Amino acid sequence: MVDYKMNTIEVKELTKIFDKKIKAVDGISFTVKEGEILGFLGPNGAGKTTTLNMLSTLLRPTSGTAAVNGHDILKEPDAVRRSIGYVFQDTTLDIELTGRENLDFHGRLYGLDRSTRQQRIKEVLEVAQLTDRADNLVKIYSGGMKRRLEIARGLMHHPKVLFLDEPTLGLDPQTRRSIWEHILRLNQEKNITIILTTHYTEEADYLCKHILIIDFGKVVVLDTPDNLKARLEGDVVTLLFKDPAAIQTFRRLLENKDWIRRINVVASGNNYAAISRMMQPTRGTSTEMEAAPLDMNSETINEQPQQKPEQPVADQNVQFMGETCSKCLNLLVDNGGHRIPEIVKLADDTKVVLESVELRKPTLDDVFLSVTGRNIREEEGSIVDMVRRHLIVRQARGQPVKG
Amino acid sequence: MVHPLSGQAIYVVLLRELKRYWRAKARVVSSVAQSIFFLAIFGLGLNGLIGGFDGLGSGDYLSYLAPGIIGMGLLFGSVFSGVSIIFDRQFGFMKEMLVAPVSRTSIIIGKILGGAATATIQGIILMIIAAIMGAFTLSPAFLVGAVAAIGAMLLIASGFVGLGVAIGSTLNDFHAFQLLSTFVMWPMFMLSGVFFPIDGLPLPLQVAMLCDPMFYGVELLRWCLQGAGTLGAGTPLIASVSWLISLGVVAGFNVLMIGLGTYLFSRAQI
Repeated sequence: MVDYKMNTIEVKELTKIFDKKIKAVDGISFTVKEGEILGFLGPNGAGKTTTLNMLSTLLRPTSGTAAVNGHDILKEPDAVRRSIGYVFQDTTLDIELTGRENLDFHGRLYGLDRSTRQQRIKEVLEVAQLTDRADNLVKIYSGGMKRRLEIARGLMHHPKVLFLDEPTLGLDPQTRRSIWEHILRLNQEKNITIILTTHYTEEADYLCKHILIIDFGKVVVLDTPDNLKARLEGDVVTLLFKDPAAIQTFRRLLENKDWIRRINVVASGNNYAAISRMMQPTRGTSTEMEAAPLDMNSETINEQPQQKPEQPVADQNVQFMGETCSKCLNLLVDNGGHRIPEIVKLADDTKVVLESVELRKPTLDDVFLSVTGRNIREEEGSIVDMVRRHLIVRQARGQPVKG
Repeated sequence: MVHPLSGQAIYVVLLRELKRYWRAKARVVSSVAQSIFFLAIFGLGLNGLIGGFDGLGSGDYLSYLAPGIIGMGLLFGSVFSGVSIIFDRQFGFMKEMLVAPVSRTSIIIGKILGGAATATIQGIILMIIAAIMGAFTLSPAFLVGAVAAIGAMLLIASGFVGLGVAIGSTLNDFHAFQLLSTFVMWPMFMLSGVFFPIDGLPLPLQVAMLCDPMFYGVELLRWCLQGAGTLGAGTPLIASVSWLISLGVVAGFNVLMIGLGTYLFSRAQI
């Protein structure tokens, strides 16, 4: 069953308990084949980074084990470290050194001799398209350049496996795209096996061959993006109501229709977004980034052309599934396009005012919602619980390392 | 996890310290200037009032002050360079080092050597400036002493970098810097015998000075640069071996602090 040749990464019942009570990672198992990109998808605090820290031997698991590139993380940590490149979530560059010096430092740490270093530096600078900026101090680099340099540095010692922790967190959509292309190129040209963590579903969808949805330290599901989306047959129809009070009534009218597969009221997630901003001062833009509409399938049909002109545009463009919306109702519907007239007629008959109707194919956001029962951008419970959980996880990540 | 010590890892961490030191010229200039102000203002200002001390350099107060001021440069430079692991952690660079296939011991040895080297460079600059200002009697013997002093500086500084690493591994934020400066560094500096000799002081002050490792560091520098010390001025027997006592204490402190720093760093949080 276990074939190290086939599986570059083999994880068995990996568990990490912090302070004897907080289960950050709870018995997860999975395998990754050579040359694959696996995405860990989950909200903040789901256990993504903790898992990577264990796989990279920075943290010792409480129980369970794993093999990376055929080396056991407990018995052969040095061999594991030589096999991997790890691009951390927060920047780990020395900004007082130049790009080239950062790369050189890395090469020396990994025991490369001078000629190998020079050749590899040239090579990775080209891949990262930083050749002409190599001798600038990193402190004058832009966010995207720093990120590319970090990824480049992770490749200096020719790792078989690359761990990318939130590779595009806080970057603008354009830079994000270029990092994505960069990751795909690395994977295809160098056949590097990659695990990346993200809480951007569109990133996981675009890059990953397999997606592992992780929540509260457990594997919820592991499958290809297409299979995951196929789990949700039908179309998503999102109704935006003028009056939120009408939602519940309207919902009851729809519940007994046989063409409706699923109904979700998307709860307001404003609290969580605010807390994330508070907790991550240095990456403060991250939560806004989540709302960046990258969903090409979406298609908005305005039902009421006589909308009030003073209505702010932003209100019309609510990211229904991805971001917050307290005036929305999401329906998973067979043959959505054909059902819209029926829904609208129903609304007219019952004097419910719909501001807009959106029809689209299910995205991974919807999948996440359906398998975990909550929105990827939201946490259940009160604000206090959320803050506590967030803090606990952040503290726990700084646990002592056996080394 | 057991790793052997990696020479290349030690070297690269050391190299990084040197590069950063070389680039932070403003910092170097300001700390050297601070020492010069001490030398010039106190040395000239108090000379008429206090005068010099027999057997120490040219016999004026500047000569008395010089080894202690060199010691001050070493003390502050080395402790801060050890404590800078807080910054490495804060700015993430520590993770880059920790995830590499090298031991934490290699990393910290490199850090200690780098910190000791930069503090010693600072000490050498001060030594040259003090010589130009006339604090030392220049002779062939002095050149030998200066070489010995460089060795002593490396020994003193590496111990204090170890202390800095130990503190930096225990404390987690920048705000502790001010406390550290006020409650550790300044008392150590002022009790090191830089401004006045230990002989004839009230007993509590004498005891406090004898408990200050920097006191022995300064004493050792006096021996190297001026051929005499201040300890045991009334007892020729102690006075004649005070360099040996000082060397012993400095070496012991060095081993202890490097050991402590390495131990605490290996257990520290990421």
